[in-house]
Amino acid sequence: MRIAVCRPQVPFAHGGAEIMTDALVAELRARGHEADLVTVPFKWYPGSTVLSQAFLWRLLDLSEVDGRRVEMVIATKFPSYAVRHEEKRVWLIHQFRQAYELDGTELGQFGPDPVDRATRRKVQDLDRLALGEATRLFATSANVAGRLERSTGLVAEVLPHPPQALPYRCDGYEGFVLSASRLDRAKRIDLLLEGVALQPGLEAVIVGDGPDRDRLQGIARDRGLNGRVRFEGRVDEERLADLYGRCSAVFYAPIDEDFGMGPYEAFLSGKPVITAVDSGGPLDVVHDRRTGLVVAAEPAAVGAAAAHLRDNPDEAARLGEAGRAIAVEVTWDRCIDRLLL
Amino acid sequence: MKLAWYSPTPPERSGIADYAALVLPSLRRLVDVDVPRRGSRRPPRNVDLNVYHIGNNPDSHAWIVEALRRRPGLVVLHDFVLHHLVAGMTIGRGDGHGYLDAMEREGGVVGRLLAHGVLDKRIPPLWESRPEDFHLAGEVLGLATGLVVHSRYVRDRARGAGYEGPIWGVPHPAWPVPAHAPAPVGGEPLIGTFGNVNASKRAPQLLEAFARLRREQPGATLLLVGATSPGFDLDRRLQRLGLDAAGVVREGYVDESRLWALMAACDVHVNLRSPTMGETSGTAIRALSLGKPLVVSDAGWFSELPDTVALKVPVDGEETATLTAALELLAGRPDVRAAMGDAANDLARREHGVDRVAELYASAFEQAAGGRAVEDAVLADIARAAADVGIGPDAPEAREIARQLSFLGPGVGGHGRG
Repeated sequence: MRIAVCRPQVPFAHGGAEIMTDALVAELRARGHEADLVTVPFKWYPGSTVLSQAFLWRLLDLSEVDGRRVEMVIATKFPSYAVRHEEKRVWLIHQFRQAYELDGTELGQFGPDPVDRATRRKVQDLDRLALGEATRLFATSANVAGRLERSTGLVAEVLPHPPQALPYRCDGYEGFVLSASRLDRAKRIDLLLEGVALQPGLEAVIVGDGPDRDRLQGIARDRGLNGRVRFEGRVDEERLADLYGRCSAVFYAPIDEDFGMGPYEAFLSGKPVITAVDSGGPLDVVHDRRTGLVVAAEPAAVGAAAAHLRDNPDEAARLGEAGRAIAVEVTWDRCIDRLLL
Repeated sequence: MKLAWYSPTPPERSGIADYAALVLPSLRRLVDVDVPRRGSRRPPRNVDLNVYHIGNNPDSHAWIVEALRRRPGLVVLHDFVLHHLVAGMTIGRGDGHGYLDAMEREGGVVGRLLAHGVLDKRIPPLWESRPEDFHLAGEVLGLATGLVVHSRYVRDRARGAGYEGPIWGVPHPAWPVPAHAPAPVGGEPLIGTFGNVNASKRAPQLLEAFARLRREQPGATLLLVGATSPGFDLDRRLQRLGLDAAGVVREGYVDESRLWALMAACDVHVNLRSPTMGETSGTAIRALSLGKPLVVSDAGWFSELPDTVALKVPVDGEETATLTAALELLAGRPDVRAAMGDAANDLARREHGVDRVAELYASAFEQAAGGRAVEDAVLADIARAAADVGIGPDAPEAREIARQLSFLGPGVGGHGRG
């Protein structure tokens, strides 16, 4: 089958959506499909630019290419699902969140004036139209599906995807807690740093880079954590698998995350996950005292959870193994079977 | 965003005043709302949008039409037929010429001649005899920069009348059910009908159908709640049909608390209407909230109710027979009543929840206030790109672009929201 996987592109940025869609194309090809990635650069500001950019997707004709029919498109995140196609499947990573739950927060985009308000409503109208056209509608997590249903009334099947392919393994429980995600405020890595500061002897390794790096390093410095917290920046796959393999627990507590690959990567390494009650997507698989610890989004709670798992490696192993049992069920075979059904 | 909400409000006694009292608290959590007092001639300052609630009652809405004339804005059209309103604002004020002009504007010379007949009392008032033929909504539609309607019926009638502006659909909100015990009214089953008792509520047909039902089901009781309209001889009809006090329980106008208690006591609610002014029935919405099965006329908004919650009776030569069959079905099948009641409850919660209605209102208001500017900005972006490659406004490609852009709104590509 000829399949176009649709994803907007934010030039010079690379994150979970890019990893997921690149993998989807590769996995489709590995199963004999002729798959390709279709991207259009996306800029969502200022003002009504978000709608002009969406319109670019609306103009695309993916019914056929070079005289050959494209039998299916799989669109993923706003505004790629504005594309028209008679067999449009949507595997929703997220809507344009500034038009929904982020509106009115510091992460929002639209102000109180009538034009901004109307722009936000037109994004919502577009979602109802474009997502309503999908012949099958999937969401990567219950959190994404829930937001979709609340905002549009549309019901999506929850379909999580596997994390990036790494040489996952468990080499033991050496006592440190690992954070492996982009360094931005929404990931709330400061909770971990402040929690470590409250627990004597607790150590953490921070992998990743991003706009919050300087602030986080400043916190570590101010709290006197040098020697107990190590910022590794971006690391290669082998190094990341090694850190997952040796840590005692993985910290992953973003605020209202869409999906989050972190827990799956932790579980495939046999490690429990510390997350927060308001973390969203991770809560699909991180269940308190069954596959990790779900705590209040407060430094003391995070620090205590990390220290507890450091001090109780048998429990950490039990929780991590329970998580692994969930993660191994999420395979590309199963995802693609459901996507193409 | 700030808007001015022109509407009757309590303690004024009107369905739309009750409506405003129900919606405003939820709406105020989403937008800044100023409610001008009745008769106010000076608009509130610094508002982004004026919103006018128009219904067919001249006592409640004449001052709102006058405000609309001074400053056009978004109209919430509660009734499509505004003949009674226009008659009240013209004939009711001694302005016969105004009525003639309104009728001529809508019905041409024939309309003017008929209006003369009304003024000379040669023919019955058209707002009673032929309201659907002469809706007299033209002036309000001409002043409306956008419409909010509660039904597809009103949307279609507005479009049929040539209205080309944006139309948003917002369902009627459901009242939260108060914690009253059902009134102790007997009947097996108890069939209730609420509102004025008159011909347009199909009282003759209902009484006839109920009399037939009672021959088969002697335990059935009909609860008639509401004032009897002048000229409708209820007592004589009851006597002729052999319906005595054991079969029919009569209450006049009741307050809100008593209304709910009586409605809660009923097993079946009957809500018939013809002709319809395009209105949405507040009592039908209350019945849905209470989880009661409905029997309604297959007309106007009532036709849009799902079949799972309402049995629909066409207004035709078989009306009484069909109505009888509907009553017999519901009287004899408690399981059907229960299933329809569950569906009614679900519909009220899902579609008519006050918070959902407020959100839809806020969306309509925000788009009405700023939507045109957004559409213009996007079109300007696209037009610049098109012009760069030589596509002008008259090119076929420009029309295709406009068609593709129709998702942006009613001003783009020629399609309305409705």
